[in-house]
Amino acid sequence: MNLASSIEQHDPGRPALVDADASYTYGELTAQAATVRSILTASGVAPDDRVAVLAGNEPSFIGGALGALGVGARVIPMKASNPLPELERKLAVIEPAVILVGEEGAWIHEHAVTLGVTLIDVPTNTHAEANRPPIVDRSPDDVAFMMLTSGVSGDPKVAMLTHGNLDAGQAAISTGVDDGLRPDDVVLGALPVAHIFGLNAVLLTALRVGALLILERRFDIHQSLELVRQHKITVLAGAPPMWRMWCQIDAPAGTFDSVRIALSGAAALPADVCQAMQTQHGLLVEEGYGMTETAGVLTTNRGIAVKQGSVGQAIPGIDIVLVDDDGTPVEAGDSGEIVVRGPGIFCGYYNDADTTGQVLTDDGWFWTGDVGVFDDDGYLFLVDRVKDLIIVSGFNVYPAEVENILSEHPDVLGVVVVGGESVETGETVIAHVCGSPDLDELDAFAKARLTRYKCPTEYRLVDELPVAPTGKIIRRELR
Amino acid sequence: MSTLPNFRFEDAPDLPGSENLAKYGVAALRRLVHRLWDIEVTGLEHIPADGPAILCPNHLSFCDSVFVPLTLPRRVWAIGKGEYLDDWKTKHLFPAFGMIPVDRSGGDAAKVALDTAARVLDGGHLFMIYPEGTRSRSGNLHKARTGAARLGLRCNAPIIPVGHSGTLAVQPPDQFMMKPGLPVKVNFGAPMRIEDAGDPSDPRTIRAFADAVMFEIAQLSGQKYVNTYAGSDDTPSPTASDQTAVPTAPTRPTAPSQPPLRTTFASL
Repeated sequence: MNLASSIEQHDPGRPALVDADASYTYGELTAQAATVRSILTASGVAPDDRVAVLAGNEPSFIGGALGALGVGARVIPMKASNPLPELERKLAVIEPAVILVGEEGAWIHEHAVTLGVTLIDVPTNTHAEANRPPIVDRSPDDVAFMMLTSGVSGDPKVAMLTHGNLDAGQAAISTGVDDGLRPDDVVLGALPVAHIFGLNAVLLTALRVGALLILERRFDIHQSLELVRQHKITVLAGAPPMWRMWCQIDAPAGTFDSVRIALSGAAALPADVCQAMQTQHGLLVEEGYGMTETAGVLTTNRGIAVKQGSVGQAIPGIDIVLVDDDGTPVEAGDSGEIVVRGPGIFCGYYNDADTTGQVLTDDGWFWTGDVGVFDDDGYLFLVDRVKDLIIVSGFNVYPAEVENILSEHPDVLGVVVVGGESVETGETVIAHVCGSPDLDELDAFAKARLTRYKCPTEYRLVDELPVAPTGKIIRRELR
Repeated sequence: MSTLPNFRFEDAPDLPGSENLAKYGVAALRRLVHRLWDIEVTGLEHIPADGPAILCPNHLSFCDSVFVPLTLPRRVWAIGKGEYLDDWKTKHLFPAFGMIPVDRSGGDAAKVALDTAARVLDGGHLFMIYPEGTRSRSGNLHKARTGAARLGLRCNAPIIPVGHSGTLAVQPPDQFMMKPGLPVKVNFGAPMRIEDAGDPSDPRTIRAFADAVMFEIAQLSGQKYVNTYAGSDDTPSPTASDQTAVPTAPTRPTAPSQPPLRTTFASL
């Protein structure tokens, strides 16, 4: 098998991509990937070599990534918007054989000498068919992508995902005639392709089924709505900040009428956003739960009755167990760390056996670091991150619960809760608040809604909160 | 010796302990207990004069089941082992106290117990359940089972946290006799309702509410709280989205998991 083969099964004349005013057929995409294969082969790139693709949400990323996969290389998607120092840090970890450069990443050529890595522009003209090397056959266990995880927890980690992992993730989304992605779907590609959600759930799955992908290089709320209207988007996937903007902007009635699948991922979707999309636009945003290390989705509420606050049920083939600190499965109804097993679970972090050993066992269980609880019907509800837990007088306080309550105050724009040390209670709850609330009033607001031990003992007003582009809070900056 | 609080013998013909023998027996026991021990009671104003409520005390000693009911202004019912009816010493006495025997050997013991409790509450009476599920051997206050919270939701009954101290000295573990003359404190807290904690259909709410009840009990009993179940030698059964689909439990590289044991009655 090889993931790169998935686009070759479609009619070459079938439209595959739209990028601004340009459009590409599956035949053109296939030819571009084949040209990349011949260039990489000529450059001495061999199977299992690491090839970085520095690009934005553009056709060159797709041609480059599929071309590199086609010669059996491991692809590392890198955001062209990365500042140079960050890029250098990441390249030092990855040590790629070559960097394929898209239009958005062209600025890197200025730094070619200092980087000391071969830079190859992804070609826009294609080679003659006779010169195209065939796609190298790979085992499902061979690494296909090496994903730089969003790194909210600290040092960058590089998760290695195999052809089999990604194939399983795509199958979960594309299977089912009515529920899954279909060849006649028009998919908005606004999520960053360097992120697992944008890469596997959106881009690769759309190409696998032969759908039409409308690329948006940089997310812009007005442009995205225009693309939805113009192309009659049927599959709309976004991260929570995007969904918040889509529901806050006064979109004309009927804007989302063409959308048949609305997906949210990458972080928890706030309940008010979900409700607003449904009441204002009649759009039921389906939430899933997954992460880079699982090649995407583990649970989803697609095709089942949506329960407010739940990320749905485990998809077929995924085993989920909730465990306590010792690894003992918790009792029904209790929260515990989410431990998962399935065909999408990654094979480890690149060059980091220690971190891999802490989260991945030999028998295939992955310790997600997330805390969750099942209800009686098998719906998973996320609680928080294990390491964000604050223990006050022996009682568990999860920051998310406190943050959700404080966020309901009309003068609070954002809030991040972290633990502080306390002689009396072990730890104490500290709230970093963005906005203009009267702190005494906010304290009274909290005390009226939260059990006493969950109430912050200290409030700190801040100008802005450290939030990653996916909507995740970078908590370590406040500890 | 302590003051005897007012008491109303509640009529409940369909529940055990409603016959005259129980009526006079309970009255005599109340007088005796308040004469033999120095019992200080606070928070009686939190006990509703009518209607259902679930009393949730900490559990340190067998005699908790004596002191908490006998300091209340109303009768209270609770679930006890069916085996007590096989013993001549307890077969009349315990039902008179309001114990409803439940056979714990059956597979649906937890359901039977819950249904029994619901019968008491739906009849507008007080029901007592130890949220820790069993006695705390460590003296600490342990994590709550969620049965009381679920029961409150099912029967629309408030939970009254109860924190007592002194009972362990009166009757240490495995002692049959209760030492007289010692001080015992029983503190009743304000009623709590799960609806105030959030959406009751969300499993996170149930857990958070059960924890909040324990926090109040800790304030009332003065115990240290530990976030583990009492009698944690009993390893709980696994939870999974589909248990049949999980052939083996995961093992953390550094700490192998223990084999799952039975689910006990205490998991109510």
